[in-house]
Amino acid sequence: MTMPVLRGLLVVAFFALFAFYLVPVFVPRPAFIPGFAPPPDMWPKTVSLIGIVLGLLALILAIRGGAPAEEAVETDGSSVKRMTLRFAGLVFAFGLFLVALPYVGFLIATILLTLCMVLMTGERNYRIWIVLLSVGGPISLLLFFNSALGTQFPKGELIKILGF
Amino acid sequence: MLNEILVALAAVATLQNFLIMTAGIWGGVIVGAIPGMTGTMAVTLALPFTFYMAPVPSILLLVALYKGSTYGGSVSAILIKTPGTASAACTALDGYPLAQQGKGGKALNMALYSSVIGDFLSNISLIFFAAPLALLALHIGPPEFFMLMLFALTTVAGVSGNSLLLGMVSAALGLLLATVGEDLYGSFRFAFVPDMQAGLSIAPVLIGLFALPELIKLVVMRAAKTDEAAPLGAQHVTRDEFMGSLRSILKGSVIGSILGAIPGIGPSSAAFFSYGEAQRSSKNSANFGKGELEGIAASESANNGACGATMIPLLALGVPGDVITGVMLGAFMIQGLTPGPLLFQTNMHEIYMLFIGMLVSSVLLFFAGKVTMRMFTKVALIPQTLLTPLVLLLCIFGIYSIASSTFDVAVLLVMGLVGFGMFLLNIPAAPFLIAFILGPMIEENLRRALAISRGDPAVLLSSPITWVFAVLIIFVLGLTVRREFLKSKERRVQQ
Repeated sequence: MTMPVLRGLLVVAFFALFAFYLVPVFVPRPAFIPGFAPPPDMWPKTVSLIGIVLGLLALILAIRGGAPAEEAVETDGSSVKRMTLRFAGLVFAFGLFLVALPYVGFLIATILLTLCMVLMTGERNYRIWIVLLSVGGPISLLLFFNSALGTQFPKGELIKILGF
Repeated sequence: MLNEILVALAAVATLQNFLIMTAGIWGGVIVGAIPGMTGTMAVTLALPFTFYMAPVPSILLLVALYKGSTYGGSVSAILIKTPGTASAACTALDGYPLAQQGKGGKALNMALYSSVIGDFLSNISLIFFAAPLALLALHIGPPEFFMLMLFALTTVAGVSGNSLLLGMVSAALGLLLATVGEDLYGSFRFAFVPDMQAGLSIAPVLIGLFALPELIKLVVMRAAKTDEAAPLGAQHVTRDEFMGSLRSILKGSVIGSILGAIPGIGPSSAAFFSYGEAQRSSKNSANFGKGELEGIAASESANNGACGATMIPLLALGVPGDVITGVMLGAFMIQGLTPGPLLFQTNMHEIYMLFIGMLVSSVLLFFAGKVTMRMFTKVALIPQTLLTPLVLLLCIFGIYSIASSTFDVAVLLVMGLVGFGMFLLNIPAAPFLIAFILGPMIEENLRRALAISRGDPAVLLSSPITWVFAVLIIFVLGLTVRREFLKSKERRVQQ
């Protein structure tokens, strides 16, 4: 399956999901609507239906070979499997960050996430800079936002239990 | 009126405002000079900080960042042939050959002079045209506003990316996302979790969509740029060189001001148009692309010339012409100001302050460019592998500080993934963002128009103004489809 065909299918599927499932289930109509005002589901349904039509047009164009030229994506030459694994790792890191944040606190979670991101970019040369960025960056930003703007960052349940 | 201007001048002329604008210009120049960092990123990253500022200084900060980054984009274009921003792509054509000839400093100086002149003239056009346009807009109602916003959306969808269809798909996605939250009658739409009942905030959506995909691309594809910077070399632009380029600078400024005022066009198209025009009319046309100062002058005056002009539709009609003014619209709303015709009646003092601040920032751009020129060769070489994780860090702290909400941080990360997905599918992100910001206004005006007309959709074509916009929409669609058809035909011939 070519990219334009896959794109058309995904667009149609996405908007169809909204038009035929999410709008009827997750957009409740109020018991009373004044005058001739349109109901709350009118606009999302209209947009979803337009999206389906656009997706179908994209699909037809892709099948007939009239889809726009795909731009070349610059990579380091890794295989698709490897890049997919990197993407999965990144999604996992994001997810872990959000799950761990209430337990380990904002500071530790951001230190770990930054370190993880720098290492995931493949950077190994600037070791001192990596440590400064991963540890010094979150500490400086936390101090700045806390003292200058008064933002209170979550400390984390585990950190509290440990007495910090 | 003079009294009001003097009061506004006194209000702008404070040390705090001066420092804010200086920081904005400097920050913008530095961010624009770093390959991979864009003006959009600079403005979006600064957005959380504006929550703690008064309305006018906050907008001045964003405007200063916009102007600074547009000029800053020329630095990496000239020194390492990597345009910091898309609008500096033309500058690289002549700037890099000049740098290789040992005239990098000269090229940077010409870029600076052209940018400052273009920027100043653009601000003048804003001052003269925004108020009359706003006056005209006072006479239009919900159907006209709906058609106007539809026109803006169509233009943005048409010029973003390389397909009108994909631009429209992107706009539809943005419109759909904008429906999340409480509607006019108290229904909670798509409130999958309680945090979604209030809708999605503008800041995490737009920052996630524009700042994070760069990091994700770097992690997944690892195609970081590692170019060598050319030395600055000869710096001085002679009087003859400047006078020889003056015609192109003035022409570029006018082109930038006109194209910038049309929603959806923006600095990049203005720079390309101006460069083409300068090449066509110059007596040195054969030297374009090989190191011609006039080429830099044409490109830079036009891209900075569009900066002030993009504020015309934003301030007068409440319609953002590009992503950066879309972010600014968000900043206005956050500050409790609604851009549009009424702003010129209710907040004239703030408008005068903004105009004066923008003129001052043009002058500051000159000094910031001059002072930072020496450090440019170093700035342009900061490795992306360290810079992009720093951007993520700034995004997370900035977004959390706005509402102390972990949900907003989650939205930020999810939107980063969405932005990356759109990049993979070749779906442009700009129409998505403009649609997300304009979505609630489009829907509200449509529903009000339908309620007034007792549900008759013909109301959308009931006045001469709505017809004008309908014709413009058809014209833009026709033009874009024709352009795409010709491109596709060309591709088939090449195959």
